[in-house]
Amino acid sequence: MVDELLFFMEVLVGGLLAGTMYSLVALGFVLIFKASATFNFSQGAMVFFSVLAFVGFMQDFNIPFVLAFILAALLMVVVGLCTERFVLRPLMNASEDTVLMATIGLGYVLEGLAQAAWGVEVRRLDLGIGDFPVPWIADNLKLFISALDITAGLVAAIMIIGLFLLFKYTKIGLGLRAVADDAGAASSIGIPLKHIMLLVWSAAGVVALVAGCMWGARAGVQFALVDLALKALPVLIIGGFSSIPGAIIGGLIIGAVEKVLEVYIGPFFGGAIEGWAPYVLAIFFLLYRPEGLFGEKIIRRV
Amino acid sequence: MSTSTNILDIKNIEVTYDNVILALHDVSLKVPKGKVVALLGANGAGKSTTLKAVSTMLASERGKVTKGTIEYDGTSIEKQNPSQMVGLGMVQVLEGRRCFGHLTVEENIIAGAYSRKLSKGDINQELEKIYTYFIRLKERRKSQAAFTSGGEQQMIAVARAMMAKPKMLLLDEPTMGLAPQLVAEIFNIVKELNQKEGVSILLAEQNTNVALKNSDYGYIIETGRVMLDGTAQSLLSNDQVKELYLGISKKGRKNFRDVLKEESLTKKKIN
Repeated sequence: MVDELLFFMEVLVGGLLAGTMYSLVALGFVLIFKASATFNFSQGAMVFFSVLAFVGFMQDFNIPFVLAFILAALLMVVVGLCTERFVLRPLMNASEDTVLMATIGLGYVLEGLAQAAWGVEVRRLDLGIGDFPVPWIADNLKLFISALDITAGLVAAIMIIGLFLLFKYTKIGLGLRAVADDAGAASSIGIPLKHIMLLVWSAAGVVALVAGCMWGARAGVQFALVDLALKALPVLIIGGFSSIPGAIIGGLIIGAVEKVLEVYIGPFFGGAIEGWAPYVLAIFFLLYRPEGLFGEKIIRRV
Repeated sequence: MSTSTNILDIKNIEVTYDNVILALHDVSLKVPKGKVVALLGANGAGKSTTLKAVSTMLASERGKVTKGTIEYDGTSIEKQNPSQMVGLGMVQVLEGRRCFGHLTVEENIIAGAYSRKLSKGDINQELEKIYTYFIRLKERRKSQAAFTSGGEQQMIAVARAMMAKPKMLLLDEPTMGLAPQLVAEIFNIVKELNQKEGVSILLAEQNTNVALKNSDYGYIIETGRVMLDGTAQSLLSNDQVKELYLGISKKGRKNFRDVLKEESLTKKKIN
C-alpha cells in the first residue's frame, strides 16, 4: 500500500515538474498574446533558434557558458527588434488573422536561419545538471525525482515571479496591461505601441531561450523542439491565453495529468497516450470553460 | 480671429477611408484658446472622423486626410502620430469611453500619465488633484473599471486623459447613453476643467441642447460638411436649429409623428 502511494506520488511529482517545462514554453505565448491578441506560431521556432544559437556560441566559438547565454539572450532581443520593425509595424493596422499568418512565416524564417547558421545535426547541451534522480530525495523521501526537473521548476518559479512583478509594479508593465485591454485607447493616451511590442517580443525571446535550455538538456537541441513547443497549446487552453499564472498552472496540470494517465490508464490503450491525452483534456475545456481557468473573463456589465 | 488665438485651426479638410469612402467633404473649424467648441450633428455626420483627423488616430482605421490642413498650436499635424500628439498636449477621449476593463480605476487614471516622466510622488500629487474634480472616482479607486457604471467609466476616460496634462481635449460623445443627471454632472466637470485648468475643448455631441448650453461656439455638420456655425447663444435661438435639432418649432414642440401627420395631410390635399 505504502509502496503504491509512494509510486503515485513519484509519478505525480515527476509530472508536475515536467509540467513546469510546458509552463515555460507557454509563458512565451502568453506574453505575446497579451500584447497583440495573436497566437504566436513562431514561438516554437524561437525556442529552437535561441537554444541552437546558445549551444552554437559555446561549441563553435568556445565562448564560456554565461557569456554565451547572455549573447543568446541579446540575440533574442535583436530578433524582437527586427520582428517589431519588419513584421509588426507594417502590419500595425492589419487584422489579427493577418498577424497570425505572419507569425507562421516568421517561424519558418527563424527555423531556416538557425539551421543555415548552425547546421542540422542534433547537439548536446550540458547544463551541468544531470537528468537523474537526486540521491538526497531518493534516500530521505523514497521519491525518485530528476535534478533537471527540479531545476526547471525553480527556474520557472523565478521567471514567473519576475514577470509578475514587472507587470504589476512597473510603468511599462502598466502600459502592457493597458494595451492588452484596449490597444486603441492605450494609443489615444500616448502609450507608444511599438515600445510595448518590442518589450514583449524580447521578453518572449528570452523566455524561449530559457525553455529551450531546459528542453535541450533533456532531449537534445534539435528540430523536434519546434513541435514540442506546440504542447503549449493545450496548456494555454486550460490555463487561459492571457494569464501568466494560467500558463503555469496549465502546464502543471498537463504535466501531472499526462503522466498519471500514462501510468494508470495508458496500458488499456496500449500506452503512449501522453501524446494525445492533453489535447482531449483541452477539448473538454474548450467546451465547458473556453476562457480557461485563469483567462481574463470577457466582462460584460449588465 | 488671428491664428495665434486659435489652438486648433482646421481648413477645408477632406477625409477618405480605405481610399474610397469619402467621410468628410469640406470641414473647416477653429477652436480658440481656452474655449469650449461643440461639434454637432447626427449619427454618421462626420463628428468622430473630424476628431480622429485632429488626433491623428485616423491612420489606425485606414482613414486619411486627403485635402486641406490641420494646424494645432501653430504647427501642422500632418506628420504626427497619436503618441506624439499626446506629447504636444492634445488628448482624445474616444467614443464609448474605452476604459481598460481589467485594470482598477486608479490604474486606468495613472496609465494616462504614461507619456509624462513623473516620479511616484508626482503621480500621487497629480492623482489627488484629479480626484478633486472626480470625487466619485476616489471612492471607487480600487474597483475594476469594467464593473463601474457608465457614468463612472466616462469620468475615468476623462480623468485618464487629464493625467496627460493636455492643453486641448477632444471629447467624442461624452454623454452617450447616460441618464440626464449624469449628463449634467459630466458637463459640469468638463466646464470646471475648462475654467480651472484652462484646457481648450472640442466636443462632439448629439445632445445638441446640453452641448450648446455648455459651449462658447458651435458647428453643425451634416454628411461631412459644416452646415451652420455660430456662437452657442445664436445657435440656440436659431429657428432652423430649434426645429431640426432641438425639436422645438415656432408652433411649440414638434415630434416625428406630427411631421408624418402633416405630410399625409398635404398629400391628401394634392390628391
